[in-house]
Amino acid sequence: MTDIELVEKLRRDLGPAALEVANPDRRRIFLKVAPGSLIAAATLLRDSYDCAYLAAITGLDKGETFELLYHFASTEANINVRTEVPRTAPHIASITPVIPGAILYERELQDMFGLVVDGIPDARPLVLPDDWPAEDHPLRKDWKFQRPAEIIPGDKS
Amino acid sequence: MKFQIPIGPQHPALKEPISLRMTVEGEVIRDADIRLGYNHRGVEKLAEEKNWIQNIYLTERICGICSHSHSTCFVQGVEKLMEIVPPRRGLYLRYLVSELERVHSHLLWLGVAGHEAGFDSFFMYTWRDREIVMDLLEMISGNRVHYAMNCLGGVRRDIDEAQKAKILEGVAVLRKRSEYYFRIGASEPSFVARIAGVGMLTKELAVKLCAVGPTARASSITRDVRKEDPCAVYDELDFAVGTADSCDVLGRVVVRVQELLESYKLIEQMIHKLPDGDIAVKAPRKAKAGEVVSRYEAPRGENLHYIKSNGTDKPERLKVRAPTLANYPATVEMLRNGFIADIPLIFAAIDPCICCAERTVTLVNVRSGEETIVPLSDLRRQAAERRTNVPAKRNAVWPF
Repeated sequence: MTDIELVEKLRRDLGPAALEVANPDRRRIFLKVAPGSLIAAATLLRDSYDCAYLAAITGLDKGETFELLYHFASTEANINVRTEVPRTAPHIASITPVIPGAILYERELQDMFGLVVDGIPDARPLVLPDDWPAEDHPLRKDWKFQRPAEIIPGDKS
Repeated sequence: MKFQIPIGPQHPALKEPISLRMTVEGEVIRDADIRLGYNHRGVEKLAEEKNWIQNIYLTERICGICSHSHSTCFVQGVEKLMEIVPPRRGLYLRYLVSELERVHSHLLWLGVAGHEAGFDSFFMYTWRDREIVMDLLEMISGNRVHYAMNCLGGVRRDIDEAQKAKILEGVAVLRKRSEYYFRIGASEPSFVARIAGVGMLTKELAVKLCAVGPTARASSITRDVRKEDPCAVYDELDFAVGTADSCDVLGRVVVRVQELLESYKLIEQMIHKLPDGDIAVKAPRKAKAGEVVSRYEAPRGENLHYIKSNGTDKPERLKVRAPTLANYPATVEMLRNGFIADIPLIFAAIDPCICCAERTVTLVNVRSGEETIVPLSDLRRQAAERRTNVPAKRNAVWPF
């Protein structure tokens, strides 16, 4: 299936759920859906597009919203499903019932962006330390790393 | 009766910091939990403060073994954003180094697999031969580990006729040596028996858990980015994707052996087909606003970089997904119902690269499991169960 056929098929299958379908490059398809239809889109991709393989989930801080990109891949194309959640209510449903391999990426999202993944089977932090402040999320744009002041024992200053 | 055994973050069987917590019943692992974060360096956050050129060298330092993989994945994405096309010669040289790197990584892994299986002479032989490819890489790039070959728009160093001859010579020696080692398997049944039937991962599970690279290919999934998403030169070259259907550590050895032979083929083709011309074009300082998903087949599996640009000389976002992270959920399944003695072997079989998978600094307490008194009847039951759990493949054969 060529890229154009894939884009057409996606438009037909998803109907109004597909807010945007773009094909900026060979084998690269960007699909935008509302957060509510993410699970449906993932199920469709898994069952009818041979995209059982989720390569990664990228989070992006866009100020008012967080953008999430689910990178699916089949042998034909790389289909990236984009969705946006508001910063004031950063909730997204877990896609692990559809793609069990997504668990680590969802845990990473929770750590790095402070998103709440509803229905995640394992909500422990993945990469952040146990004593990390709960409201600090390093990949948010307003989070800046402050190096603690160096204290030299016995130093005159 | 269940115990919890913590392994790591520092442990002689693991070369890098990771914590595995095993729930065991006798010798049999019932559940495994992987704890990450000991080596997280915040590369993604740092990348947002560096410009495009600096980021090439930053991404190269994500990993020590597959350093070229990350930088190649990054530059091929940024080149798309900047709308520049590197010259053919530059591309051939870039992917020539990629294949040499794959050879060095797989030879390293074969040695580690031999070592974990208790076959140390195999380890010494493969690592001796790995020096040949390390010397070639040093000759091409001036470095053994961080080659710094990539620049935006091509590569930084050219090779001459004498170097071409040396590479061909080195590959011929490596092929001969590799073929000899692969015959060793047939005359060393204890090695094959040790790795056959260990760390089973069925195809269904591998698909469900999104495994990548040789781990997936050993469970008969033919997923290779070089074939399905051919970047630059791979669609002009002849090579096959190595797969195995035994779904165990033996299969993972077989896949890597096949990939080694395919890489030798690719290197020879690249040298023979090497076009004339420039090796690089000049790249602009800024990239246009846009986004790109860059995929690359690293020695350990698919490497994915998502790069978003906002029109300045710095990326808005760089997302790195290293292959090892994708293979962790599958590793837990591989460990389940295996033996404690197989942990290093199974874990080594995904060729874990912790520094790749993690990019902050953490300190975590690892609590040990509680001890309990085990009644004799339980021990007997365990002993009986163990026999039924022994890998079924008693008469495994070396496939070469």
